[in-house]
Amino acid sequence: MEEKKRACDYKSGQLPSCAPLALSYVPMQEGSTPQYEADEALIRGTLFPGLDLPWKNIVNTVPHSDTPLGELMALDFVVHELGLYLDTHKDDAEAFALYQSFLRLAEEGRKRYVELYGPLTRPDMLGDKSFTWLNNPWPWDYTERMGDK
Amino acid sequence: MFIYEKKLQYPVRIKNPNPALAKFIITQYGGPDGELAASLRYLSQRFSMPYPELKGLLTDIGVEELGHMEIVATIVHQLTRSMSEEDVKRAGLETYFVDHTAGVYPQFASGTPWTAATIAVKGDVITDLIEDMAAEQKARTTYDNILRMSDDPDVNDVIRFLREREIVHFQRFGEGLRLATERMDQKNIYAINPAFDRQRAVTTTEKGTT
Repeated sequence: MEEKKRACDYKSGQLPSCAPLALSYVPMQEGSTPQYEADEALIRGTLFPGLDLPWKNIVNTVPHSDTPLGELMALDFVVHELGLYLDTHKDDAEAFALYQSFLRLAEEGRKRYVELYGPLTRPDMLGDKSFTWLNNPWPWDYTERMGDK
Repeated sequence: MFIYEKKLQYPVRIKNPNPALAKFIITQYGGPDGELAASLRYLSQRFSMPYPELKGLLTDIGVEELGHMEIVATIVHQLTRSMSEEDVKRAGLETYFVDHTAGVYPQFASGTPWTAATIAVKGDVITDLIEDMAAEQKARTTYDNILRMSDDPDVNDVIRFLREREIVHFQRFGEGLRLATERMDQKNIYAINPAFDRQRAVTTTEKGTT
């Protein structure tokens, strides 16, 4: 994706040159690029390298996307992260186009997971032969490998 | 309306139970700057917000915090799974254990039950957003301190994720504050509270007093 011209480097943002006193100001993030890949975004806790400010610069390095559940978590995370960005940047067409493409990917990932492992939400049981909602594991149960039964 | 999705936002797989860690990590479930406080703070504040960006932001972050509550509870649950009476004593978890066994109860690290006294809903746009920004920083500091106390890589992996979310949320609340205050009177930003005074402004105009 071509990067838009911006006034500041991606780790910085713009402040008003003059602004009312007695108020706090956070610089606006100027664009949704650069970005991490979905699985790296999940383990880093943000899609945006500009906002990635780890304690003592220690970062997570082990990706989780080796299972359908891990892949879905990563895609859903990007959808959510872009959604928050769009809440404060609703006119950013480039970010909204990306949001659309990740919505599609997440939807596909969700279908894949549900077919293999059962419902994520109760409507996913449409067409099932039995009430699979109660099948283990529940999200808080410890499993050796994520998503395994 | 809320619909439950049967998955976590971030995977939690704690290989080694360790009740001693659960003793203080529980504070991010029901403590003063924990995830229960965060979700209720934002999901309550949103009702008085006058601008669509802020209604959206508080709803979306508030819902994410519900997911974080579930993640922290899962860490506590897995750290205390299959523990014996001896494990409880060795970890110094007796005071919690006698009240809650291996249940997950929303409380401070110090044992005080969760209380709404730790959150604020002031009904004022600037005040509530600055409260939210402070809340994200307090949670970030708590996660920093948990990372100082814990040496379990499975736990710390999740804590680092949750900590980074506080930073992203701080940025978004700050941007929300910018969008809100840009709509206000730039000569006197505190002339009115747009979460309350907009209805009254209409009333006074109708009476012909302005």
